[in-house]
Order: sequence, then C-alpha cells, then structure tokens
Amino acid sequence: MKTYTIKRAPGELHLVHPQHFAVDYKKELNAAQYEAATSVNGPHLIIAGAGTGKTRTIVYRVSYLVELGVKPEHILLLTFTRKASQEMLRRAAIVLDHRCERVSGGTFHSFANSLLRKYGALLGFDRSFSILDQGDAADVINLLRTRMKLDTKQRRFPRKETLNDLFSRSVNTVTPVKDLLAADYPHYLELEEEIRSVHVAYQEYKRAHNLMDYDDLLVYLMKLLMEHEAVRSELSQRYTYIMVDEYQDTNKIQAAIVKLLAFKHQNVMVVGDDAQSIYSFRGATIRNILDFPEAFPGCKIITLEENFRSTQAILNVANEILHRAID
Amino acid sequence: MTQVPQEPAGKPVRHKFAKKLFTNAKEGSLPQLMIAENENVQSKFVVQKVLELREQGVPLDEIAVLFRSSFLSFDLEIEFAKANIPFLKFGGFKFIETSHVKDMIAYLRVLENPRDAVSWNRILLLIGGIGPRSAEKIIDGILQQRTATSTVASFWEQYHGYPEPVRELFSLLKSLSPERVPPADKVSRLVTYYHPVFKNRYDDHAKRKKDLEMFEQIASRYDNVGTLLADLALEPPNESVADITAPGHEEEFLVLSTIHSAKGLEWNSVFVLYALDGRFPTSRAAESIEEMEEERRLMYVACTRAKEHLFITYPINVYDRESGLILTKPSRFLEGLSENLLEPWVIQLE
Repeated sequence: MKTYTIKRAPGELHLVHPQHFAVDYKKELNAAQYEAATSVNGPHLIIAGAGTGKTRTIVYRVSYLVELGVKPEHILLLTFTRKASQEMLRRAAIVLDHRCERVSGGTFHSFANSLLRKYGALLGFDRSFSILDQGDAADVINLLRTRMKLDTKQRRFPRKETLNDLFSRSVNTVTPVKDLLAADYPHYLELEEEIRSVHVAYQEYKRAHNLMDYDDLLVYLMKLLMEHEAVRSELSQRYTYIMVDEYQDTNKIQAAIVKLLAFKHQNVMVVGDDAQSIYSFRGATIRNILDFPEAFPGCKIITLEENFRSTQAILNVANEILHRAID
Repeated sequence: MTQVPQEPAGKPVRHKFAKKLFTNAKEGSLPQLMIAENENVQSKFVVQKVLELREQGVPLDEIAVLFRSSFLSFDLEIEFAKANIPFLKFGGFKFIETSHVKDMIAYLRVLENPRDAVSWNRILLLIGGIGPRSAEKIIDGILQQRTATSTVASFWEQYHGYPEPVRELFSLLKSLSPERVPPADKVSRLVTYYHPVFKNRYDDHAKRKKDLEMFEQIASRYDNVGTLLADLALEPPNESVADITAPGHEEEFLVLSTIHSAKGLEWNSVFVLYALDGRFPTSRAAESIEEMEEERRLMYVACTRAKEHLFITYPINVYDRESGLILTKPSRFLEGLSENLLEPWVIQLE
C-alpha cells in the first residue's frame, strides 16, 4: 500500500499512548524515578540521594524522550566524566535501541572543546589550539614570572603553583584575585599589582600562542554564547532537551552556560545531590543546585529517597550526619 | 574577564534540600566506630578485618578503604604489603602527568599547533646542549619567521637556518605533518626518535617504556591527532601502566581511595580511615562554616559508599604539627551519635 506522511513541526513530539511504548517505564522504575524519567518540558531539578538509582533514572529518561520522537542529536547529556555519559547512553541503547547512542554526551569541557574548534574563530582562536593541563599552565606562568623579573626581587613572590591556583579559582569562582589573596594569602596582598600583571601576561601569552587552559574552555564557550546571538540561537535550537548530571559539583561558569543554552526553551533537567557537593576546592559551588529553582522559575523538584545500595543501619548513620547540618 | 550574567537579587537563601534515605532491604548490622591507640594499631585492625571479611566470602574488590587526604593511608599501605594484600590506590599520579608521556604529547602538540611555545620549549630542552636561554631564542626565531605563513602545512617548509639537531627534529616533524599519516604512525616514529633521549634521562626506562607502548596503542584508536590530544587532555587514562603492572598485582584487588575519587562508587564493605577531629575534618576547615559543611558532606559521601559493612576508625594520640596539638577526639560529625546507631569499639592488642 502507498503511504502518505504528515510532516511534523520542528520540536513537535509524538503523542504516544502509554500502552504503545516499547519500554514499560512504570514497571521498571519506582514512583519518584518514573515521575522524573517521564517529565518532558520545562525546568526540572532531580534531587537524587546516594544510591537512589540516579543513573537508572537518567537512562530511562533518555529512552523516554527518544520514544516520544525527540531526535537523539537534540538531546544533550552533560556528565562529570566522559565515561559516565558513555555508560548511560550504552545502557539506554540496551533499554530501547541504538538511537540512544546518537545522543550528544560528554563533559562540559569536552563539549566546550568541540564547539570552540568549530566557532573559535569568532573569538580569534585558530581551530588547532592546544589545551594546557595544570602542569603546563604552571610552567607558562613560571616562564612569564621569570621574564618579568619577578623572581629576582628580595621579597618572596608566590610560587608558580600558587599563582596558577589563584588565577584558576579567580576565573571559575568569578572572584577578583584581590579577594582570594585577602582570604587565603594575606601576606601576598601587597604584591597584588604584580600578581595581576602576571595574570594579564598569562592571558595574552595564551592568545598569542593559540593555547587554552581548562578554565578557558568554559570561559570562552560562555563568551561565545553571550556575545554571538546567532550561535546562541543555533545551539539552543539544536539542543532542545538538556540534561546535566552531578549538578552539585558544577561551577558558576557552567551554570551560566546551561542557562544560555536553554534560553529558547528552558527544557533543562539537572540531577544531583546537594548533600554530596564536595568539589568546592576546584571552584564548584553548591549554590548552583540550591538556587536552581530561582534561576529557573517554574522549576519542578522531584526527590529520590529510596536507596537501593545500603542496609538501613548504614543509612541511619548517614541520615544522622546530614540531619545535623545547618538548615 | 567576561562577566557572568547577574542573578536576581533578594532571593531566599536555602542551605539544603530536606531528604531522608530509606530502604526496603534488610536492617543489617550496626556500623562500628573503632578506636585505636595509634596509627599503626588502626592499620593492623584494617588488615585483620579485611582478612576476616575475605574468609566470610567478601572478595577483595568488594572492599574499599577511604580517607580524607592521600597521605593518611601511607602506614596502612606498608601493612597491606606485609600481609600480601593486593591493592590499587586512586588519587595519585596520572598516566598523562608522567614526564615521558608529557614529552610525547609535546611532540604531537607542536605538530598540531606549531605556535605552541610551551611544547616547543619542552622538546627543545630534550636536545643535548640546548638550555633554557638558547631554547627561548630558537622559539622566538621560529615563531617570528613563521607567523606570516600561518597554515600548518607551510609552517614546516625551509628549516636550513637552524642548528643541526633542530634541523633534524624539523625534518622529522615535516615528514609527519601531513594529515594522511595516521596518528599511530606518527607516535611510533616519534617514539623511535625519542628513544635515545629517553634512555638517557630515566634510570627506570625499561619500566616506563610500557607507557610509551600504551601510548602507541591508544593512538591507534584515533584517526586524527587533534581528537587524540583533546581526549588525552580532557579525559586522561587513570593510571600509568607502571602502577597497574606493579609486582604482586593480582586480578582481585582492594581499593584505597580518597573520598573525592570514590564519588559515585560502592563496595560491600567500606573502611573510613582517620575519622579524627583535625584530620577529618581537617584542622584548616575550622576557619569557615562553608568548609566545615563541605567536610560533613564528605563524611556523608564516605558512609553512603557502603552496602553492608561500615567501619569508621580513628587513632588517638596523633601529634598535629600545624597546630602543635595532640589530636584525640573522633570526628565532630560522629561525636555524640547514639550507640544504637554507631557502635563504639576499642581495639585491643593481644
């Protein structure tokens, strides 16, 4: 028989009767997980306690969206490690089918890297830029410090690792170097001007030699999205469903990137556990997850509390430790 | 610096989302708080308990020892070695951070981004007779002459003016620069070039050589150097092969890990080491409420890694050089916890 196809508007979803889903979501998930996995439009905050099947929930949501007819390429899944997203998409492909492997997944840094290779020219970068790791960054700083003859003075000047740490935290906590000095290294406060000049020289050096450090990847992606409306629109239209795992360990720049990417649709689901936020030494801020409802008005909060890992005796101790935290 | 978009003012300040974990599985035995008279007694307890658990049928790879800071496990590592208990430690040196691997990466980076002065500096210094000053001069020269011809392909033309060993390097890099040369071939020829330098620089080059072989293997999975380099920088392989193939490594091993590196993982039995106030939480955390609360969350993360058995241990009588105090109290996050929740035990030597 001949077939005649009615075209779908971009972004329009299938209307699927629950009976016709390939996967029995209700059977596979508990009530809270089911609610999270089958939530589609608008901002969502999933508070997933330790061992409550967070990964499972994300896997089934990917599958659910794909079943609804969302193109896998239009789903963006950002995770803490690349292994995590690969594992989730692999599992989603087993639950549903191979379409799930085409979902765009990765870490914030790898996502930023691929976009900057494509659009970096708009910011004056060549697509072949190199990425500096922590050690390289410290070496460059040392080189500049020597060049600027800041190592020969009588008074003590911070070591290259200290400078690198200062600059990095200043960037990803969006805090002036001066404030960090006052808090952590008050004995270097009088050198603030010299330290700032090394920071400026470091930024210029990286530009001149087509280099980016880890923080630059995020900062320049944010800059790209803020300053180039056409790119922002294009990307927001491409990634119509954004999911972020381990949201409690993201930094301010990452939160800004999520907000910018979602500006056209607000379809953002972040998953995490404020009680497990432990990466502030790398610039992460627990405020991102705590303030998500204010950053995305109308956000729906779903809490996963049933633990599938530990005995009740262990959970009692864990609950008690947490219970005493300030409210 | 680019400004992060401003957040709306006057929002409520929330400190946590209320939640209470529960399970429909069994109640289980009480977690134990083990008090040791000193660090070594703590280590000996862990060793004996691990062996007992193993007798009870808990495999070694279902057991983990977690700690706040990497140095807190040094004594235990010695005791594990004595007792012939194989373990892997997480949170140490990474494959990509070892200097011979960094050398290889530097060659590839120059190929990919010839303006990368950091990598130029590294590989020029590997050449005998070239010190920091002459390296800088050579780099300045290279970059000045060549910024006009900015395409990668034309960068490698004309190199007769450089010192002999630099010419040799240039000629090699030029022959490797075309994109059609597969990454594995590039790496393999660079390893050959690098080998004499490498042998000269490292006394343990035989052991390190495995890392270079692994590097070739990794490279063979890629069809372009740019992606290889980006992946290595952003998601480096965790361990140096030298560590994984260390003598005594068996299939089954126990995990020693910082709590940060244990994020998201789970084991049947978990030991939390050094739950001593001043070590966990660290004495430095006492300076701010935010830091102290983060230490609390670390303790929460540590405890929730355990499926069935949880042992929290602390030694008393530990001298803290920073404060000049003797640390004797259990972690403040555990103090005053009911004995019906966390059972206190004193470890006794026979």
